[in-house]
Parts: sequence; structure tokens; C-alpha cells
Amino acid sequence: MQNEIERPICHRAEDLVTYLYGEATIEEARDFSAHMQQCDACRAEFNVFNQVHESIVTWRNEALGPIASPLRAREDISDVGPEIVQHGRRLPAFAALREFFTVSPLWLRGATAFVGLLLCALLVFAVSQMWRQPTSNPGNEAKYTERQLREEVEKQVAERIANLNQTQAQNSASPGEKETTEPQPPNRDATYRNRPRTQPRARLTREERVQLAADLGLIQGREEETPFVLPDEPNQ
Amino acid sequence: METVTSDEQMVERALSGDPEAFGEIVRRWERRIFALAFGMLGREEDARDATQETFLAAFRNLRGFRGEAKVSSWLHRIAVNQCITRQRRAKVRSETALEDEAEKNAAVFALPADVSPARTAEHQEVSSAVRKAVGALPAELRQVVVMKEFEELTFQEISDALDVPLSTVKSRLYTALRQLQMRLQKFGEAKRS
Repeated sequence: MQNEIERPICHRAEDLVTYLYGEATIEEARDFSAHMQQCDACRAEFNVFNQVHESIVTWRNEALGPIASPLRAREDISDVGPEIVQHGRRLPAFAALREFFTVSPLWLRGATAFVGLLLCALLVFAVSQMWRQPTSNPGNEAKYTERQLREEVEKQVAERIANLNQTQAQNSASPGEKETTEPQPPNRDATYRNRPRTQPRARLTREERVQLAADLGLIQGREEETPFVLPDEPNQ
Repeated sequence: METVTSDEQMVERALSGDPEAFGEIVRRWERRIFALAFGMLGREEDARDATQETFLAAFRNLRGFRGEAKVSSWLHRIAVNQCITRQRRAKVRSETALEDEAEKNAAVFALPADVSPARTAEHQEVSSAVRKAVGALPAELRQVVVMKEFEELTFQEISDALDVPLSTVKSRLYTALRQLQMRLQKFGEAKRS
């Protein structure tokens, strides 16, 4: 620091402190800044006063930092309007993003923009696919064209007809053989033949057949006479 | 949207018998008045007493508040007067005792834990030198420095609070900065030698 006696004094002392504490208007600041380029005294004092200011701020922060900060106190007093406070709350995220782009190198900005565009394109593609699927492919029918469907139907119909013919041929051959051994009423045979056979029926024992005959009233009693017993096989 | 009641409206409510109104004014301004008192007096204990006396005086003179000035200016003026009164009383005490108490008081304020011991020592030296330099300023210069540096009031606000012209505030601050620079320069030279 220069000695006060050695340092000349400029007549713009008041402008100097106004400029130092940031209370000058834009024009005043521009004017005084231009003046400082020419005036050694003001330039020297500006630097010295800045050091004094920093020393006082050091003392203030050390002494009052944990107790009270003037800036914090001003916020608490709510001198500023609610709109400004709201803006202050929204600003950091936006400011951080802007700062990121400001300080980033050109290649990083380009890469970020490219990745952003790529993600947008993928998103648009995914959404369009999601909308197209339900309209163009509603069910399994879409697997066949009209011609393939007709061919498939014709093929399956032909197979069914062939199967039916084969079954009919077998059925017509077996009743003929049985009629030679033991003729049976056609209605009963047809009923029996058409009855669904999901599993082979268990053969009744003799006692069960006797019991069944008694239940049906075909015999008087078990002990009196030889009961009429149903044959093991219906055709016998 | 929540509306903020102005200080002047709070004073009116206090005058009309609202017991909470003056408490709200104290809550709003106590930290800033304390900062001003601390800058003026340099001691936490004195600053607390001066802050308390400032609000007591304001409450007693509440009817004397005419509403021509801002409540903040009115409170600052009372606080400055309280500090000057206390300093006059303190002159009775010996300079040595004041210095010792000030040194002891400086150690009360803790720096952040991440600051190195060397840096802490440097900060404390600077703080001690600045505190002595500010304390040695004439009261009319000191109050301007404290209002500007501790409270960051604008020149116009200081002018309103002290009821002096704007140019006077600026010239006082300029003179105060020059004197502080001289005193700190002497401190730096003494430290080097």
C-alpha cells in the first residue's frame, strides 16, 4: 500500500466510492472507468480501497458470519416482493444448466445436442410403433392372407372328410360280422355304438350282476333259484 | 399470495395496542441492529446490550415516530446514538482492559472447520487489525463504515438514517477508507519488522 502522503488526491473522490461500492449508474461507471485509465491517483486508490474493503469483509465474516449476515437478514426481512422471491427459487436449476452450456467446450455442447436429438427421435419412433400395432395386427388372423386362409380351410375340410369316410367304412364292416354270430336289434346296437367312450368300462363281477338283476326285479331272490345274469359282453 | 406488512404499518398496529406488532419489528431488525452495534463497539457483549437498549428506547419513543422517515432509518439513528453513548462511558475504563477483552472476545467466534490453522491465524490477525483500525476511527466516520460494510446499506439509506446529505456520506466514507488504509499499512509494517 502506498503512503497517504505520497499518494495524490483526485477531485473525484465521491465518484470513486460510488464506483467502488457498485452504486454508480451504467453511464457513471463507464465515465469513471474511462477516467481511471487516465488518472493514476484514482487507479491507485481504487486498488487500495478494494484491499481495505476485503479486510473489513474478512473481519465481518469472521465475527458475524455465524451470528448474522446482512444479506441473509435482508432476505428474512422480505424487503423484496414475492415475485422476486419466487424467481429466486426457480433460478438455480435454470442457471446451472445455462452455466453448464456456457463453460462447456464446443465438442461437449455438440455431443449433448446430438444425444438429445437422438433420444427425441427414439421416443417418437417408439410412440409411433405403439400406436401402429393395435390397428394393423389386431389378432392371430393377420398371420394368413385371404388366399392362404382359403387354402388352409380347404385342406382341413378335405382331411375331415377323409377321416369320416374311413371311420364310416370301419363301422360298416364290424356290424356285419357280429350279425352272423348273434343278431342284435339295430337300435340298441346303434345306441351303444354312438355312446361316447371316454374310458373303458369296468367289467361287472358275477355278484354285481346278480345284485343288479335283483335290483331290476328280474329275479325273486338270491337263494331261491338261479338268477338271470347279464352276459359279460352286451353282444354275447 | 401472502402480503407482507410494512414496518410503518407494524408501528401503527403497535400504537393501537397490538402487543405482537412491536415484537415483529424487533424480530425483523435485531440482527441488523446487532451487526451495526458490533461494528461500532467491537465487542459482542456491548453490541448485545446496545441492541437491547436501542429497542427499549424505540419502544419508549414509539409515539414520537412521526412516520416522516422510514422505521429502519429511525432505528439506525437510535442505535448509533446508543453506541456513541456507550463509547463515551467506556472511555472511563482503561485502554489495556479494553484491548484484552477485545482479544478474548475475538476468540469466541469460531471459523469454519475446514480452514487450516495457518489460514485461521492469518484471518485472526487481519480481523484484529481491522477491528482496532475501525475502533480508532472518529464516531462519525465509523458509523458510516459500519453501515456500509456491515449492513450493506446504500448511500441514500445511510443519508436518511443519519440525516446528513448524500455527499457527506460519500466524503465521510472516503476519508474513513483512507484512514483505515493508513492504519492497516502501519500494522503490516509492524508485522514485517
